[in-house]
Amino acid sequence: MEWEQLDLNPRIIGAVKKANFRSAKEILSVSGPDLQRLTRLSKTDVQRLHCAVAAAVRKSKPVTALQLIRGECPVLEAGHRLSFACPILDGLMRGGLPLRGITELAGESAAGKTQFCLQLCLSVQYPQENGGLNSGAVYICTEDSFPIKRLRQLIAQQPQLRPDLPPALIRSLRFSDNIYIEHAADLEALQACVSQRVPVLLKRGLVRLLVVDSVAALFRSEFQADEAIERSRHLLAFSNTLHRLSHEYGAPVVCVNQVTDVVDGPNPGRCDYGLVGSKVLPALGIAWANQVMVRLMLRRLAGQVQSASRSSAPRKLEVVFAPHLPRASCLCGVWEEGVRGIPDDHSDLQPQGSS
Amino acid sequence: MHRTVPSLPLAPSVKVKLINAGFQVASDLTDMRPLQLCKEAGISQEEAVEVLQMLRDDGQPHQQRAATESLTALDLLHQEQALGSIVTFCSALDDTLGGGVSMGKTTEICGAPGVGKTQLCMQLAVDVQIPVCFGGLGGKALYIDTEGSFLVQRVADMAEAAVQHCTLLAEDTEQKQALEELTVEKILSNLFLVRCHDYVELLAEVYLLPDFLSKHPEVRLIVIDSIAFPFRHDFEDLSQRTRLLNGLAQQLIQLATQHSIAVVLTNQMTTRVSNGQSKLVPALGESWGHAATQRLILRWEGLRRLASLYKSPSQMEATVQYQITVQGFRDASDEHRPTPDTSAVSSQLGNHSKRPRTEDLS
Repeated sequence: MEWEQLDLNPRIIGAVKKANFRSAKEILSVSGPDLQRLTRLSKTDVQRLHCAVAAAVRKSKPVTALQLIRGECPVLEAGHRLSFACPILDGLMRGGLPLRGITELAGESAAGKTQFCLQLCLSVQYPQENGGLNSGAVYICTEDSFPIKRLRQLIAQQPQLRPDLPPALIRSLRFSDNIYIEHAADLEALQACVSQRVPVLLKRGLVRLLVVDSVAALFRSEFQADEAIERSRHLLAFSNTLHRLSHEYGAPVVCVNQVTDVVDGPNPGRCDYGLVGSKVLPALGIAWANQVMVRLMLRRLAGQVQSASRSSAPRKLEVVFAPHLPRASCLCGVWEEGVRGIPDDHSDLQPQGSS
Repeated sequence: MHRTVPSLPLAPSVKVKLINAGFQVASDLTDMRPLQLCKEAGISQEEAVEVLQMLRDDGQPHQQRAATESLTALDLLHQEQALGSIVTFCSALDDTLGGGVSMGKTTEICGAPGVGKTQLCMQLAVDVQIPVCFGGLGGKALYIDTEGSFLVQRVADMAEAAVQHCTLLAEDTEQKQALEELTVEKILSNLFLVRCHDYVELLAEVYLLPDFLSKHPEVRLIVIDSIAFPFRHDFEDLSQRTRLLNGLAQQLIQLATQHSIAVVLTNQMTTRVSNGQSKLVPALGESWGHAATQRLILRWEGLRRLASLYKSPSQMEATVQYQITVQGFRDASDEHRPTPDTSAVSSQLGNHSKRPRTEDLS
């Protein structure tokens, strides 16, 4: 830290250097009386020092919510979201995924989580006025290999999914060139990928969406049942990296999560998030849940839904919690062209094997 | 400043020298520098410095007396009641808190993810702005966001609902006039947001708060959402974390009492295993439990959301139900009465503080 840059009396700066303080973090972590003792400065001098260092650390001054909503501070509030490429799903999410923060998509296997992620990887490449972010995506696989055939099918069917967009626009986008696929076989590889390779792509503006499919796989397999604290520490370090990247580059982060079975009844030691009667809960416990800003759950229901002589098993996409969304849900189906929401008149469907 | 030199509390030899030099009244001495006085009166430099120091201290009788003057408990009671509180729009919770979130105190809100902590904080940031003639405080708010969960779209919804609520209540001309100025834009313009990305930025922001409050004296609420997030990773040395958190708590309590503002902090929950059973407890450790004056714990019970007042110097412990609607933080539709669960200290005045108007806000 360059002490001379601070707006302080040279005497104070001299005392700080003599006491061997190197960074703003060190100064701010020491209390007033301790600082007085270490630098032999007076109380008012120490107050001035704290204020000057704090002002240097502060990235931006307080802004008003009015400025945010008017779009005057794009760093804090972008004013637009990443669309799902389906108006019903976007309606559930009030526009789409927020650009900053971790969105979690939890569900049983074969619920359709990967389908959602692939669709987002394509949607992000469209221009901003069409709900995208004009950039690519990083897809980190930790479980199975990347479903490349399905991606090719989705790319071919984009005009069917987005009939509202001009075909020339869709043809002009080279979708597969902008999706960067990473495989992480263990936690170390995952952390290295996220802290070294992904920031490079983000900095160059090549990607603005990060998908981790799935976050549960590695954390559940590498830790025993009694290593909960160790697992929490790694989980927190990992989510902190994601959080930092998301906020710095305005890139949504989507984490796919598995679910655990609920064997006993309501347990005061476990948070149910108001999901009463659910046989499954998102995995990784409350340590992970505290890091997530938007939690979505995907459930596969029994029955079939039809659309233009094709059929699909219906899914229910539910908002478990989000700062700006009510607890709502919508039905959707997985078709050849991707995931599409189903309008509300199919209320007779039941979850597969539910009570 | 009309004291004569002989009546000053000084050593007699010094007094004699001063009088011989021609200084009769204390006011003669006030503008002198030590060296000047030293030469003119023939006293040593230390004595000159002492004389001037004594005169300076003596010249501030009112401030000093005010600082050391003792207040009676009745005065304190009147002061506290005059301060008011910030309503939460959930009348059951307001009753439990004794009118709302109290000024001059730090309140901690703990809860699991998704239960409504950020919603309550946003609601308070809107409610602090309700005009005085409607029973509010007409103040501004500062929201320190460490998690990035402040989404202005939601605050705009709550502001809209609050304006509609006041519109329904407006009766006399004073209220109608205040209502004309109370728009969603005005509410949003009185809500300041700062985003802190790690604990160093949070510490910096708290050091800059006194300066901010002196520039914006109408700020009556500071929210830190959440104080747990930046402190829960990155700390190998937990004792340093405890020290930093205690320091923060001290600074915040000092700000709260000095400026008569309400400070609201949110905390996360963590699992604690004891005797083979696991429980959800507030994060940040045992010693943090002593930091805030009041502690509110929000939790799920099946489909219901419950708020428990866990720690308060003046209110009884109780649990109430609430819900989060499109309009914001509200009463649950079926239950309005708080259920006391232990008979801790009950406040002498019951659960109601004096309000300037008699109509209820709910």
